[in-house]
Amino acid sequence: MKSLRRDLPSNPQASNVASKVFVRSTKSGKVQKIVRELYLRQDIPCSSKLCSICPSIAPADANGNIAPFILSDRPAGTKAFPHGHYLVPDTNALLNGMDLFEHTGAFYDVIILQTVLEELRNLSLPLYNRLLALIKTDEKRFYLFFNEFRLETHVRRGPQESINDRNDRAVRAVATWYEEHLRASAKKGKKEKSIPALVVITDDKDNIKKAKAENVTALSLSDYVSGLEDSERLLDMISEAREARESRGTAGQLFYPEYLSMSKIMTGLRAGTLHQGVFNVSPYNYLEGSVKVPSFNKPLLILGRDNSNRAISGDVVVIEVLPQDQWKSPSSKIVDEEAVTRNDNPDSEETENVVSENERKALQEEVKKAHGKNSEGKPQPTAKVVGIIKRGWRQYVGHVDSNSTGSQAASGRRQQTVFVLAMDRKVPKIRLRTRQAGDLLGKRILVTIDSWDRDSRYPTGHFIRSLGELETKAAETEALLLEYDVQYKPFPKSVLDCLPSEGHDWKVPASKEDKGWKGRRDLRDLLICSIDPPGCQDIDDALHARPLSNGNFEVGVHIADVSHFVKPNNPMDFEASVRGTTVYLVDKRIDMLPSLLGTDLCSLKPYVERYAFSVIWEVTPNAEIVSSDFTKSVIRSREAFSYERAQKRIDDPSQTDELTESMRNLLRFSKILRQKRYDAGALNLASPEVRIEADSDEVGDPLTDVKTKAMLETNSLVEEFMLLANITVGSKIFESFSQTALLRRHATPPPQNFEDLINQLSKKRGMELDVSSSGALASSLDRCVDSQNPFFNTLVRILATRCMTSAEYFCAGAHAEPEFRHYGLASPIYTHFTSPIRRYADLIVHRQLASAIGYEGEDGHAVIEGVSTRSKLEDICQNINYRHRNAQFAGRASIEYYVGQALKARGEQMAEGGTDSGIDEEGYVMRVFENGVVVFVPRFGIEGTVRLEDFVLPGESNAWTVSERKELAAHRTTDFDIEEYKLRVEEKGHSEKERGVTVELFQKVKVNVSSVKEEGRGAGKRRVRILITG
Amino acid sequence: MPLDTSTTYPLTRLRLDGRRWNELRLLQAQISTNPASSGSSYLSMGNTAIMCSVHGPAEGRRGEATGAAGSAGAIVEVDVNIAGFAGVDRKRRAGGSDKYVQFSLRSISQSSRIATTLRSAFQSHLHAHLYPHSTISIHVSVLSSDGSLLAAAINACTLALVDAGIPMPGLLCGCTAGMSGSASTPRDPRHDELDPLLDMSAPEEQELPFLTVGTTTALPVGENNMDEEEEESKVAVLNMDSKLHCSYIETMLAVGMDGCGQIRELLEGVIKGTNRG
Repeated sequence: MKSLRRDLPSNPQASNVASKVFVRSTKSGKVQKIVRELYLRQDIPCSSKLCSICPSIAPADANGNIAPFILSDRPAGTKAFPHGHYLVPDTNALLNGMDLFEHTGAFYDVIILQTVLEELRNLSLPLYNRLLALIKTDEKRFYLFFNEFRLETHVRRGPQESINDRNDRAVRAVATWYEEHLRASAKKGKKEKSIPALVVITDDKDNIKKAKAENVTALSLSDYVSGLEDSERLLDMISEAREARESRGTAGQLFYPEYLSMSKIMTGLRAGTLHQGVFNVSPYNYLEGSVKVPSFNKPLLILGRDNSNRAISGDVVVIEVLPQDQWKSPSSKIVDEEAVTRNDNPDSEETENVVSENERKALQEEVKKAHGKNSEGKPQPTAKVVGIIKRGWRQYVGHVDSNSTGSQAASGRRQQTVFVLAMDRKVPKIRLRTRQAGDLLGKRILVTIDSWDRDSRYPTGHFIRSLGELETKAAETEALLLEYDVQYKPFPKSVLDCLPSEGHDWKVPASKEDKGWKGRRDLRDLLICSIDPPGCQDIDDALHARPLSNGNFEVGVHIADVSHFVKPNNPMDFEASVRGTTVYLVDKRIDMLPSLLGTDLCSLKPYVERYAFSVIWEVTPNAEIVSSDFTKSVIRSREAFSYERAQKRIDDPSQTDELTESMRNLLRFSKILRQKRYDAGALNLASPEVRIEADSDEVGDPLTDVKTKAMLETNSLVEEFMLLANITVGSKIFESFSQTALLRRHATPPPQNFEDLINQLSKKRGMELDVSSSGALASSLDRCVDSQNPFFNTLVRILATRCMTSAEYFCAGAHAEPEFRHYGLASPIYTHFTSPIRRYADLIVHRQLASAIGYEGEDGHAVIEGVSTRSKLEDICQNINYRHRNAQFAGRASIEYYVGQALKARGEQMAEGGTDSGIDEEGYVMRVFENGVVVFVPRFGIEGTVRLEDFVLPGESNAWTVSERKELAAHRTTDFDIEEYKLRVEEKGHSEKERGVTVELFQKVKVNVSSVKEEGRGAGKRRVRILITG
Repeated sequence: MPLDTSTTYPLTRLRLDGRRWNELRLLQAQISTNPASSGSSYLSMGNTAIMCSVHGPAEGRRGEATGAAGSAGAIVEVDVNIAGFAGVDRKRRAGGSDKYVQFSLRSISQSSRIATTLRSAFQSHLHAHLYPHSTISIHVSVLSSDGSLLAAAINACTLALVDAGIPMPGLLCGCTAGMSGSASTPRDPRHDELDPLLDMSAPEEQELPFLTVGTTTALPVGENNMDEEEEESKVAVLNMDSKLHCSYIETMLAVGMDGCGQIRELLEGVIKGTNRG
């Protein structure tokens, strides 16, 4: 492209066109010179409400709208700037203090320059996106000023000037111009003095010096923040990365090997000598990570800190396989970071190696090469991290490790370094510098990781905000939501504006002539009812069945017609697509859609007319499907049953009305359908689920709320018909949209996933697991029964479920048709259609189905609503898969927290009446390690590790406190038989048979469950303690 | 990486090069740049620069022009050559190292597509029936390419043909129009805010869907002097390579035709000599 413009000398406009010339290098290493035109203009508004000139020249866009002015006419002042001020941050200020700019207490009226935005984008894409989000919100009053296009503020780079200097100069030029402009244009009646000051925020000392010379006010970020109220808290939020590097300088010793250069990595990946994958840390051993790469069928092990080389769980890493003589077996020990490194001092680094002595001991077991014959002992390929493609860092919820705060913690306001233990056990300790260590102790806090340098054992981060006291309901709930990235903020106004204006008074139009009835079938006279868990407000589905004159039956599933209310591409649709799913916590529901829709207008409540999307089948008395039909409809549900009430009504022979009969028919069909499904090879899987009825606030035993989920016949009644509807709809939309149908698949798990379980079963029980197909697995699971141990079968099912891959949404074009299979349901095609109120996927499927059946809708737009591009749909799939997974995790974590709290409450009650002796339950051994076992307690649906000290040997009291028990660990020895999955714990020197305890895999053990306070560290941190009592 | 239109345009209503939605790039043109040809022109729209020369109408050499088809009028031949240095990457000609052949093939196919469009546009636009059994050959050289290539080529050809004195009913002017925002999904009738953009530059062309429209004035000037003010323009060329939902086309077309009108005034200025130093 030409770089030298040869303008005709006479053209008057030519002088206003500048060129921007820059050089960039492409991925293949080529260097390109790019020339861009810049049209300099004078109609870019300053966007200050003070200005009297700009409103008259501000241009309109294509629709004739003029952008509203953003900067306040009365910006906030500080001590130094009593008349208020506008901020002009430069790039490094944003890099170091983005959390500050997002803070709601300060940093209003900020002018973001185009120069800065562009530079930020080159340096950090995530920060750039956060800044854009800030600019888009109205509250913070961030104005994006395109200074490069304004004639007065455009700066040409000098011949000897570096790009950085030029950009700094551009920032100063803007500040100068703004000041002059505001002085000239401020509305009359304003005194000269009340014009806000322009403050450049920069962390570049040179820039501050130059600014002083040019008479521009410039401050460093920390100097500016010091002048604000609440400065101490805010100061902590400045990113540590830069400061830390400067202060430590070269003094530090380098702990970690350097990463390979990008070009080396690329060459290695192409040649196949290096591999790329996601780094995953074992939940039982923080020093053991694994990476799954396509060229190995088992995950590669990464052992120890030096091999994991600063990778954090979730990062995309590049690894190099170690030579075969270093291959090891996976760890058979439980290693807890808190326990091993509890004495590390956050400030000093001098004496440490990367692998400290303690860690070395912990790892030693792995160095012993196992000679075992079974797969658990076989050495596996190991690898080391040599580079990082993409950091998976996010914000982490954690608490300050009280051990790491100095004795002066509470006293001074001195900045000190502390460790933060993240809630996620897979994340290493985070080093944090703070001036408020004393205040933060015992709080849930949100932190982020800034960097992890070679000379630091732990990553360095900075504090974002405090969520409140540990273990308070509000703080813990928010922590959960943040940890699992659940969008819990209330719906913004733009979303609520999309709701029907009638609000709760909205009704199905009475007249059938109304456009709302267009294309809808009138099903109001059908006897439709819904069956849901007790207290359910968002009723997605309702059912009916009635005999036909030809002896067959008509069965209908009616789903809330959410797509009628949520139109594509409006703010509500966008919000829902981001949230992806409704998240259910024990005491809270985070809705995907505003509750007006979810619990009222869409919800298929009884006795009122509602819009629905119906799937209607004609079935023979043997539940053979004759035909299926889809239609938008209007229904009136006759009754909303809970599972129990429905069951009672069906079982009660005195009830012979039509509605009950229709439910009995449905139940009969569902049983046949279920049997058919099992015959086809569907799996009956189990997960450790408990339900919590959180309505009781009485003084009784808090644990009575914790119930294991009961399965009634009516549960499976609803489930079967929902499955049937999903399958039917799945094949219908695939027929119409062969590339863009939104489907759900469950991939067949690779047989090696089951290897361990197969080994364990054959060794311990002599049972076989046939994993050749889902049907074979289902029937072999049925045979895994222990007559003495009725729970054994469920336990095996739980373990088998964990060997499988998780189901996922996908877009039909992304996989070949045979890959569509849903392994668990043994169905060739599957989708989600039946819960549009709480899942975004279902909403998309509704739109697609409406298009597929040619439903036009009120305004004729419905036909195109279902049509979408594949790339857009793939983005949606990725997001809803992620949200779905996180919602499940959050739900489980919430139950776990609740169980812990219930145990604690019970413990406190017991303590009042004497001693807290915990609660005795049955548990099952799920895994055996060399220094402990993992036990599953079905009553509470929890699993916990039992360490050496938590074995109650014969003759001991189980009433000892935690610290007393801790002492015990040192006196104990173990005898671990890896072949037999057996662990014997005994007192040192007392190997008599009766003095020790032996546990083995799958064994039923008596356990004592209690919630205990960890003593001597993490103030107030609790854990559920499980004691094995025999 | 520089910024992109889809993120910053909604925030500032300014495009990547500082233009508003309805502004053309700087257009500069000259005619009679090459005295050796019958007619010639040089035209630049922003950083897109095109040289064009016209030979003829000359006696047909080919069978086509002399044969039966030629009796109806002159045959228009167009040859488009995109210089190897016109784009960001310098491209070698075919016949050099093998490695570059596929690159140059792509640019050849682009130039031949432009040539085909130009030929069919001008074949029907010119009063070719006045020159039976002859050939009008147009040679277009792209010196620098920065978007709106076809539109610039149409304008350059029009100027060169005027310079050559070949009669035509009106000036054929080309312009591009694009659409920012999510143009692949159907237009939402409830949020009817469209962001069309006029005269696309190369980075915008890569990012957004766009079309090229060429218009001419409906009636030959002179016959209908009476209402010159109400000049009606007629679409003569319409070309779109990108995918776009059909609900946006109407707006883009309107914006593009408006741009053609602006270009027509500029070209008339060039022809009348007001702009010629």
